Amino acid sequence: MQMIDAIRADAAKVLQEGRAKLVIGYRARGGHRGPVFLSDPAGAAALVYDDACKQNLAVYLRKPEVRARMPVAVVAPPAVMRSLVLLAAEAQLKGPEVVVLAVGDGVYHGVLDLAGVEALLKEKYAGLAPSPDLLRRIEELAAMTPEQRAAFWTAEFAKCTRCYACRAACPGCYCSRCIVEKNMPQWISTAAAEHGNYAWNVIRAFHLAGRCTLCGACEAACPQGIPLMLLNGMLAEDVARQFGAKPGYDREAKPVIGSWNPDDDQGFIR
Amino acid sequence: MMKVIDANKLSDLAAALAAKGYRVVAPVRDADAVRLKEWRPGQAIDTSAISINSAKEFFFPRTETIGRYALEGSEFKPEEVEPQAPRTVLLGVRPCDAAGLAVLDALFNWEYKDAFYNARRAATTVVALVCRTADEQCFCTSVGGAPDSVLGADAVLRSADGGARFILEPLSDKGKSLAADAGAALAEGKAAADPPAEVPVRFDSKAVTAWCGENFESPLWREVSLACLGCGACTHACITCHCFDIQDEGTRREAVRLRNWDTCGLALFTLHSAGHNPRPDQAARWRQRVMHKFRYFVERFGRLACTGCGRCGRLCPAALALSDVCREIEDASKAAAKK
Amino acid sequence: MTENIYQPMMMRIAEARDEAPEVRTLRLEFADPADRARFFEKYRVGMFGLYGVPGAGESTFCVASPPTRREYIECTFRRTGRVTAALADREVGQPVTFRGPYGNSFPVDEWRGKNVLFVAGGIALPPIRSVIWNVLDRRDEFGEVTILYGARTVADLVYKEELADWAARGDVKLVTTVDPGGETADWKGKIGFVPTVLEQAAPSSARAVALVCGPPIMIKFSLPVLVKLGFAPPDVYTTLENRMKCGLGHCGRCNVGSLFVCRDGPVFTLRQLQGMLTADL
Repeated sequence: MQMIDAIRADAAKVLQEGRAKLVIGYRARGGHRGPVFLSDPAGAAALVYDDACKQNLAVYLRKPEVRARMPVAVVAPPAVMRSLVLLAAEAQLKGPEVVVLAVGDGVYHGVLDLAGVEALLKEKYAGLAPSPDLLRRIEELAAMTPEQRAAFWTAEFAKCTRCYACRAACPGCYCSRCIVEKNMPQWISTAAAEHGNYAWNVIRAFHLAGRCTLCGACEAACPQGIPLMLLNGMLAEDVARQFGAKPGYDREAKPVIGSWNPDDDQGFIR
Repeated sequence: MMKVIDANKLSDLAAALAAKGYRVVAPVRDADAVRLKEWRPGQAIDTSAISINSAKEFFFPRTETIGRYALEGSEFKPEEVEPQAPRTVLLGVRPCDAAGLAVLDALFNWEYKDAFYNARRAATTVVALVCRTADEQCFCTSVGGAPDSVLGADAVLRSADGGARFILEPLSDKGKSLAADAGAALAEGKAAADPPAEVPVRFDSKAVTAWCGENFESPLWREVSLACLGCGACTHACITCHCFDIQDEGTRREAVRLRNWDTCGLALFTLHSAGHNPRPDQAARWRQRVMHKFRYFVERFGRLACTGCGRCGRLCPAALALSDVCREIEDASKAAAKK
Repeated sequence: MTENIYQPMMMRIAEARDEAPEVRTLRLEFADPADRARFFEKYRVGMFGLYGVPGAGESTFCVASPPTRREYIECTFRRTGRVTAALADREVGQPVTFRGPYGNSFPVDEWRGKNVLFVAGGIALPPIRSVIWNVLDRRDEFGEVTILYGARTVADLVYKEELADWAARGDVKLVTTVDPGGETADWKGKIGFVPTVLEQAAPSSARAVALVCGPPIMIKFSLPVLVKLGFAPPDVYTTLENRMKCGLGHCGRCNVGSLFVCRDGPVFTLRQLQGMLTADL
């Protein structure tokens, strides 16, 4: 049986058995992939899964219209699975709310609950790392002088129109009122100009420090092609190096930014 | 006799116009995308694909200062704000972008004349580039447009002789001035215009407008909007989307009043200070998007507020496309008619 | 250069008054007499404007005073956010900006010889009050004038001094009410929700028009009462509110279906409401 047949069969099954009221997976739209929401087992035939399936579907588990139809089943490659575990660690997702049709490395791992997902991630996907290409580009950036790096980001952020697609596509961005929407005081300029664009993009990256699983949804979502993974990747590498933390593997993990360990490097305090 | 130019010499045309004082905005390659940008000498002009950004920002910028005040304690003094409107040529925008200007012209002059928009509009010469190719997201022909439409254009560039050359056809006084200003960059000659792209009609927009008038409460809105993440990618990329926010910012010494692009896709768009939100879910917000473009604008201005450029469908992080939704609406309309 | 449609007029605060907790009234005078002349050429009661403090922003309120009083304009608002806080913190003598008048107006001239019923709730009295003043400033032209006004509690009643003035006049029938539980020991008015008191008062609809303004729930229950009392939908008026930014029809935010509150409103008749996509409200 082809992998996709097994996924479709299980999707129909979880709906039929009432383990889920809604299945979220990927469908084909020409050469692109988009999300599909199934409540009828017969609709499972629309599901596809291949390397083009890049959107992080975990983001929908924070959407009220989807939450109203929980429990939800999600077709999840490792990046999505890590996001689900992160959401659980941050009390945004409870075990009984989600069932996962786990895929990865061309293999379908079957229907799992969050505990099973966590075990699978630790067993088979513990070594997930940014791609060599991304690491190389991050190193290039890190090797620049501050002036060079500032010039680089100034040019990139000049493209930003403040559409907030990066925020909307990110499972980790779920604040009911985003910092950019607070206006007493207005912390971040709303104008799509250099000052505000720097503040927005950098602050969003900082708010995800220690939480970003490098799924790439933000960069894929950006309609202006800004290489956001370089920003998030740089911070993620810093966090991994300094705190040994990799988010999205442990439902009990404390948030890196919100917890303190006596062993934390304090060398930056001079 | 026509005005012709070799296809690989477009940047010479840009250079000639720049020498005459035009700010040249043209499609150029930027990493793996084509972007409409201020052209720099030496840059090649890339006509291979529609730009990821629309021409909107050169008439209605992403952010614009519409008021400025010098502050002193509790006193303030208003200062003049001049529209920034350098003499500009949009060299090689797609017909769908040029046609979109007709929508913006109508809106920004609806009873009140927006001096900021009008100044840029008056200062800009629009040279449209007829499309030789189209992709599956293009749907100009479904909304009354065409790959060789000249609506909104002061001059048009047509590919000719199998793509080896372009014919420049001036259409308005501005277009004629531009052709004259181009000088030797344009040669007198003859060329055979290449056929424009074929863009199959994907849906009947009249059926969509009609259905929208009768189906405000349809469950279809909830279904089509489930995938929507509620960002502004489609709105910002869209040539005709014109909704904006007005925000004040500044320091203790100077305040500015800004006009920024906004989007009906955000919950905050219609949120009242008392907490009530007329469009509390994405279904209501999606309904507004479609209704505004295909129904309300038609009722008030007699034209669709969509030119089928397809950017929304190309750029949506959730692979939602207005053309797909319109097709679903047309299907629903046909199904209802059968009953 | 050509006129900047977003350039506001300069105003100075002539008087400021706290009406109720968090509710403040500002009386504003035009800094430039030419601005004042231009304003009053256009202004009819019901129209609104955008009041602002540079650096904080602009906020939309009705003009709470009528064109029969040409030395000033008034606005009454609740402190709810950044702009209203900045406005509320301004002192007498300090400047604010004003853009307007925008929108449509109540056809007061058409009501000559008719009885006029005003029904208002809470913070929604200001738009009604401008019409009340307009009518009272031309008292002879109208028949019976009845005002029914209620708020959640006694403290929440706005324009308390004017309420006393209206009660003291011999030519106005005033009924005030507070929600059950909102009364004080010495409260002399009615106790009950506005729609209920309206039904009990049962004002006559003969040769009468009615104006209703209040929180959505109050309007929702008052309109059927008026219809039951025999008021014809074209003779019942209300004002709608929506989040606004430009005030002049360009920013695309205040529409209810294809109608814009800033252009086709804010004054609408019940007949018009019945034809509108009020689910978009």
